[in-house]
Amino acid sequence: MGDYAPVDLTVDNQVTFELNGRPVSAPPGTMLVDACFAHGVEVPVFCYEPRLGPPIGACRMCLVEVEGMRGLQTACSTPVQQDMVVRTDSVAAKDAQDGVLELLLANHPLDCPVCDKGGECPLQDRTYRFGPGRTRFIERKRHFPKPLELSTRIALDRERCIHCFRCVRFSQDVAQDGQLTMQERGAAQEITTFTGDPYEGRFTGNVIDLCPVGALTSIPYRFVARPWDIADTPTVCGVCPVGCNTEMSLREGRVMRVTGRANPNYAHEEGWLCDTGRWGYDSVDAPDRLVAPVVRDATGERTTDIEDAVLAAALVLRTEGRPVGILLGPSASVEEGAIALDLADAGALQGARVARLGIPGAALAGLRALPGAQLSDLDLADLVVVVGGDPGAQQPVAELRIRKARRFGAAVVTVGTRPHALEALDESVRTVPGALAEALAAVTSRIAEAARPVVLWDEADLAVEPEAAEALAAAVGGNPGALQLELGQDVNGAGLRALGIPAAGVLEALVAGELGALLTVHADPLEGPGGGVWDAALAEADIPVVAVATHAGRLTAGADVVLPALTHWEAEGTLVSMNGRAQRVRTGGRGPGEAAAGWELLVALAHRLGRPPAYRTAASAFRHASERHPGLGGITYDDMDAGGVPLPPAAGPVPGEGAPRAAAGEGLPLVVTRHVHGGPVAARSAALAATRWVGTLQLGAATAARLGLASGDGVRLTSPHGSATLPVQVEEGWPEEVAFAPLGAAGYPVEAVLPPDRGAVRVVLDRVAAGVAA
Amino acid sequence: MPVLNSVYRHREAGHLLTDLDAYREAGGFRALSSAVADMEPDDLLYVFHRSGLRGRGGAGFPMGRKASFLPKDSRLAKYVVCNADESEPGTFKDREIMEMNPFQLIEGITLAGYAIGAERGYIYIRGEYEHQARILDEAIRQARAAGYIGRGILRSQVDFDVTLYRGAGAYICGEETGLLESLEGKRGQPRLKPPFPAVAGLYSSPTLINNVETLSALPPIVERGADWYAALGPEKSPGTKIFSVSGHVQRPGNYEVILGETTLRELIELAGGVREGRRVKAVWVGGSSVPVLGEQHLDTPLDYESLNAVGTFLGSGGCIVMDDSGCIVRSTLRLATFYRHESCGKCSPCREGTTWMEKILQRIVDGEGRIEDIELLESLFGRISGKVLCALADGAVAPIKSALHMFRDDFVRAAEQGAPRPDPMLPATAAS
Repeated sequence: MGDYAPVDLTVDNQVTFELNGRPVSAPPGTMLVDACFAHGVEVPVFCYEPRLGPPIGACRMCLVEVEGMRGLQTACSTPVQQDMVVRTDSVAAKDAQDGVLELLLANHPLDCPVCDKGGECPLQDRTYRFGPGRTRFIERKRHFPKPLELSTRIALDRERCIHCFRCVRFSQDVAQDGQLTMQERGAAQEITTFTGDPYEGRFTGNVIDLCPVGALTSIPYRFVARPWDIADTPTVCGVCPVGCNTEMSLREGRVMRVTGRANPNYAHEEGWLCDTGRWGYDSVDAPDRLVAPVVRDATGERTTDIEDAVLAAALVLRTEGRPVGILLGPSASVEEGAIALDLADAGALQGARVARLGIPGAALAGLRALPGAQLSDLDLADLVVVVGGDPGAQQPVAELRIRKARRFGAAVVTVGTRPHALEALDESVRTVPGALAEALAAVTSRIAEAARPVVLWDEADLAVEPEAAEALAAAVGGNPGALQLELGQDVNGAGLRALGIPAAGVLEALVAGELGALLTVHADPLEGPGGGVWDAALAEADIPVVAVATHAGRLTAGADVVLPALTHWEAEGTLVSMNGRAQRVRTGGRGPGEAAAGWELLVALAHRLGRPPAYRTAASAFRHASERHPGLGGITYDDMDAGGVPLPPAAGPVPGEGAPRAAAGEGLPLVVTRHVHGGPVAARSAALAATRWVGTLQLGAATAARLGLASGDGVRLTSPHGSATLPVQVEEGWPEEVAFAPLGAAGYPVEAVLPPDRGAVRVVLDRVAAGVAA
Repeated sequence: MPVLNSVYRHREAGHLLTDLDAYREAGGFRALSSAVADMEPDDLLYVFHRSGLRGRGGAGFPMGRKASFLPKDSRLAKYVVCNADESEPGTFKDREIMEMNPFQLIEGITLAGYAIGAERGYIYIRGEYEHQARILDEAIRQARAAGYIGRGILRSQVDFDVTLYRGAGAYICGEETGLLESLEGKRGQPRLKPPFPAVAGLYSSPTLINNVETLSALPPIVERGADWYAALGPEKSPGTKIFSVSGHVQRPGNYEVILGETTLRELIELAGGVREGRRVKAVWVGGSSVPVLGEQHLDTPLDYESLNAVGTFLGSGGCIVMDDSGCIVRSTLRLATFYRHESCGKCSPCREGTTWMEKILQRIVDGEGRIEDIELLESLFGRISGKVLCALADGAVAPIKSALHMFRDDFVRAAEQGAPRPDPMLPATAAS
């Protein structure tokens, strides 16, 4: 149960007090509720939630007797003191618990049999354990039309609400979106947004996890399953590189819901999720999901079974003399990467070139070698510096932890190009592409002077500015108390790097005409940066393509063999979060149709190619990989069990990759943002349809005026690599003479204008005739 | 009608003091001038302390002690906040002071500010007091123009300014931490204590909060000396108190009396007494949130200790009198409705408990009561009162609990037959 704060009972100088007649001790300052829980005494709570900040003492559920203090005390707000005598089980304390529950239930509908929360409801559980068996309330209870949609994803059943204020505090203090509030007074008060508009934000779903009753429920999960017919699996979110820990509720192998999972004692994770991580799971059933293998050969195109398709793939990949190119996508697991290397190194596809789709990070090696921070290290920081990026959009939950650091007293300084939500916390230094190094000069002395600074830096922004990366590495490295935390771009980029897989090599070999075939794993180069370059190179080379993929894309539309794969909600594997924490993705689920785990498909391929590997399970594949690749630090699945394991920092750059090239083209520098809430998962999710972030080309007001563009106009971006068309959004106060555009937004392939290495680029803007749909 | 030994200058003068010159003529700002010129802040604090002045808002906490709780070495700004959210039913004494004598309040706030080392004072006035807010606004403007507040007051090095803030009409904002929340622009709800406002009040800074009547008493205390004030009335309850007498009396209004020297009966007589042929049935002597008294208590002297001795409180001095034409069951329901409506909703026992108590009383009044409802009510009191953050729940329980105790027969009869609608024209014996 995540209601109590962890208590470290091993520290020195604890205070000793008496709890229900038993001498116990706890560190000074520990709240009584937490100290009691640490000593095996559960004091019931509703409003208390250590993750929400200081206690508010509203629900009065935790009243206990403290000798010498007048009346009963709320254990949530009373710190332990030396020689205190506490009774949680006295007649007075029991009567207070009974009384508060009787009063809470007086107006509660007790519709547990039809309530989603029934069976996992703190109010229900605590009533059974601490409350009265019967009610004396014979009056008419309050009734409301039900439910109220707080948003398209959150239902509010007002009559169930016990006014604990948890959701309001989350919105006001944790997400700081200033939306949820209580309206009216006393028993008439209701949760609502200040404006009455839907509750929209990046983290709204957390209020469902926080609600101690069935007042706030998930609309996609409403009436879908009951707690006793689902099985919860602890796993990891694969939507973005933060790698939030999640609990996946499965029924008969299908995902019913995803909820936040805090680590024991909140070691790294506090259990917050972004809305895309929470509700994106329905993208597994999107219409473009690949459910059956497809083989295209001389006889035409056929849908077939896995066995036939793997055989066809093996035939295609037997290239005479010329090596195969193996391309791993950003979300390919460590196991998939390792098996691909095995195929190339000693196995069936001897000599294959293995690469990942990602950003060549030669310039980042210095930063990555420095001591890395976990998100929880932010709690202790006195200075947080965010360099580049837009964490709220690209690594959403990192934003919550930065806001928490601010609440805990850290100064938050941002340096970068993109205007974003964290700029408002303390100080911000805006810069333009190419000038990050100069802008950093404003903060390097502060990093040097701080006691425990944590520097978060954006992978994409620093990869293209090696001078800035070097300066930042020097600043962080110069302070022994400083930690760095990479704001990565790719879900498992860190895991593939740990295997030594470079973000370069395959395209170059393809262009040089060296490859005999291409095998892709969760990778569609045609839809990524430099898609046009890949397209031309593939057409020129005219080699067969085998695609292991979860959803249809431009590559699978023409590939010779398409093998349908499982998503991270369905397949087992290991993902390494952006800050180098290896975590297990567990399953229990099954995919639709013929879809199989990507790593299993690769193993099957190895068998068909006549070189069966020694491993048959994901665990043994990982163990094998861990023995071979020092980047994995020799860990096993068992080591990763609870909250993952930080991998050793990389000793140097990944062999074979350089840095993205310098800016090419004419016109405005283009700054792109991979917006999690507008990316492919959000685009495929029906649950997120109403809140999906829609990409626009954002321009400062003066720039737009100079170009004769207004909000809503269509504009074509052209670079030497390609072009894309999207609507304009004029933004007051944004940097001028810079174009801002989304990556991954459905319908707007901005990727096409980028070079394949995601280097800096300039774009020429041309107004196009109306008709660009937003 | 001029009153002897009055602490409030407009009463002594017998006319309005809304004009700065008139206030000065009546002796105004002499205290502040002499304090700023000749007294150290600590001397002033000692004067407050020795006067024995107790908070007139309801709780009766010694004002000088409250002021001495503020840390002396804090690097945070300090504040004086005047609680002018006069919302206690039956209480309208602060309104009179603000309406007729706003400068005495401003002078009192400034004295308090000088004593604690604050540079800013706030007057939090209830939203409904629009007229009074205008008068105060004008008075603040005049006082600032004349150099009594603002930068370098009275040509000294002392800075102190006063800001008026209007509430939005919630009883809970009279509770000091609820008031501070509201003053900070938040939803008015009490805070968890500790920390107390003296340590972490407005904007988490040391804050002194006092009622209008309390702060207005400071100028005469400083001018005439703590001994003069301490000598008025009994040792533990010195000074004068304005009682707002309302209800079944012939001359409702504010009456300033020296504590301990007047009985409840005499106060009611001052207010013209009940109507001919009627007898006092019930009196809520300190506002609606104190235990009710009956006819047998009329000879109780009006001071903190004597009232405590008969089981009630002096409270805010909002003395509501009901004669025997009224129905105690209906009156109690009306008060229960008030507290249900004003419960802020933060603490479960108060929010749910006030709702439940009202529903039970409503049923009893409607003739749908059960005899066991009386016991049910009594079993709820202890589950609501004292189990919450602030005193609102105590205030909600006190009038019901005391009425059940003192007028049990009326409730038993109502539980059996319902409460008939009282007709004030009926002869005295017919009303329940």
